[in-house]
Amino acid sequence: MDRIRIFQVSIYFLAFCILARLFYWQFISSVSSSSDSFSQEIKLPAARGEIYTSDDFPLVANQEAFILYAKPNEISQDPRKVAKTVAPFLISEKYSTSEAKLTEDEQKQKDTETENKENEIAQKISNKKLFWVQLARKVSLLTKKKIDEFNIKGLGFDQDSKRFYPEASMSAHLLGFVGSNEDGDDTGYFGLEGYYNNQLKGKNGRIGQVKDPFGFPILVGKYRPLEPKKGSSLYLSIDRAAQFIVEEKLRQAVDKYGAKEGTVIVADPSSGNIIAMASYPTYNPSIFGEFSEDYFKNPSVADTYEPGSTFKLVTMAAALDLSLVTPNTVCDVCQGPRKIGGYEISTWNNKYYPNSTMTEVIQHSDNIGMTFVSEKLGVDRFYDYIDKFGFGKTTGLDLQEEASGFIRQKDDWKPIDLATASFGQGLAVTPIQMVQAVQAIANNGVAVTPKIVQKIKSQGTQEIVKPGGKHRVISPKTAAQLTEMMVNAVDQGEAKAFVPKGYRIAGKTGTAQIPVAGHYDPNKTIASFIGFAPANKPKFVMLVRFREPSSSVFGSETAAPTFFSIAKDLFGYWGISPEGK
Amino acid sequence: MISDYKIKNRQSKQKIFALFSGEIKLKIIFLAGLVITSLFFTQLVFANSLATGGQKLSEVQEEIKRLDRENMTLRADIASQSSLTNLVKKSEQLGFKKPLKITIL
Repeated sequence: MDRIRIFQVSIYFLAFCILARLFYWQFISSVSSSSDSFSQEIKLPAARGEIYTSDDFPLVANQEAFILYAKPNEISQDPRKVAKTVAPFLISEKYSTSEAKLTEDEQKQKDTETENKENEIAQKISNKKLFWVQLARKVSLLTKKKIDEFNIKGLGFDQDSKRFYPEASMSAHLLGFVGSNEDGDDTGYFGLEGYYNNQLKGKNGRIGQVKDPFGFPILVGKYRPLEPKKGSSLYLSIDRAAQFIVEEKLRQAVDKYGAKEGTVIVADPSSGNIIAMASYPTYNPSIFGEFSEDYFKNPSVADTYEPGSTFKLVTMAAALDLSLVTPNTVCDVCQGPRKIGGYEISTWNNKYYPNSTMTEVIQHSDNIGMTFVSEKLGVDRFYDYIDKFGFGKTTGLDLQEEASGFIRQKDDWKPIDLATASFGQGLAVTPIQMVQAVQAIANNGVAVTPKIVQKIKSQGTQEIVKPGGKHRVISPKTAAQLTEMMVNAVDQGEAKAFVPKGYRIAGKTGTAQIPVAGHYDPNKTIASFIGFAPANKPKFVMLVRFREPSSSVFGSETAAPTFFSIAKDLFGYWGISPEGK
Repeated sequence: MISDYKIKNRQSKQKIFALFSGEIKLKIIFLAGLVITSLFFTQLVFANSLATGGQKLSEVQEEIKRLDRENMTLRADIASQSSLTNLVKKSEQLGFKKPLKITIL
């Protein structure tokens, strides 16, 4: 009887304990099904969209990568030894490639970086109070495999992804790069990555799932997955082969002419689409952290410069369009230097051509002849055309860091400003603005907003990017007259020996001295050549620009030969046959 | 006479009730046991099925992730191999040269 009593009491006591515990969980500790340790809300990062050239080749893709972490309390080896083992794999990629032939200085830098990394890792994993600590992000699959071989207990990898550039640094300035924002999320900076960041980044997903103690999802529990939405992919107007040709030729030319920097833009005159855009020196976007910030801005759109003689095309276009001059109008002040507003204006080579026609003024790149034209125009009309050609404002190209250049306010123009502006001094333009202006001449006088992205594709949908706006700048007659003047300038100009035989190319050289501390340095120039071809039915408009070439300061001896060399390859690539003259 | 009959009748009823109440009790207990046991096993089967279902789901999710990763790596490999940078390098190794003169017929 007593035993039954004891058994009954035990049952009641157990029941009470269970009820008490349930009461505690439900009301005191506020345990809810969604916040306990078996329920997880995990962020699922969305894959970033890719960027493709016009032949659907990925200029930027995604690659499998990993987060390397450590659980310090599980590491049984000496932290210093572990750090020494893994640190060499986690330093900059520029040292870790087997092809890297390091100079003595670079080897020293590598040793210092490795030592710093060792110290950093050793410090992190020595702290046994930490349950989990991140050692590196964006670790490549190859590096993961190498570290896995050491089989170090307490180290692990989590899934991650990183940008991959199959063509290495090709189009780096155009593309921009992906870094981390303050929350550690991937964010695009500069170029297309920056401009289209919202479309490329997609939408992160999340998974809220109740799991059993073994980590498996409990199907009767709440299951609220929100799948990540991959970012949209961009399809560009960039022609991969043309881009490759341009980059190769540009690199060779910068080295050959000893220039500090070179830029080439190739665009389609009828649509305004950018076919190729390159600057050198460039950077590798996959290891952008190794480069100075000075490399990141795209000089094609962000760099402003005095255009020099290439701007004479704008001045002449305005005067021709207003019928103030014709190609045969004779310059009656071209016999020698002129004094305007107390300043002496001379030609670039101190050669003077009395009674030159306007065609010859362009051919000789005659500054005096241009002052003659600008005086006929006057400030108001000249300023209006500068505005119509798109100077002093951004072109609307879909790149992040586009600058607007600088044009002095109309009211501030003095006679000397009018004179110097007529041959491209005293104002600042961007390379893309110059391309847009000459594109209008090549396109029968109609300017088109340049564009790079043609379509944006996301899962199941495709958005065609509307072509850029169009507006007439000059009449077709003016465009035709100016084209002939430009063809003559090429055929009779200083660089005629380099012109591909049988092709009609319209172009103009430019050599602008760089203003330094209030005066122009004659040894520091920006040498450029801008033009289009074939002149009768233009397939491309191209600008070649060098900053401070040292072998020769003149555009006719540096930029022009490079222009013709690239044009020759493009003719071959596009199968454009010589048309005869 | 009548009272004898009543007494007999009551006694027989008591006997019958006693007989039937014992049987019903047993049957009810048996049935309840059967229901509880079958429910217990049903629960066990369902729970087991759900547990393995969760594991299967987890495996399928892992497989999808693995295939996605593999796809990403393969796409990157294809792009890398077919890049112009790589093709130029390979063609040079094979002795190809850029044509110096192009004749258009």
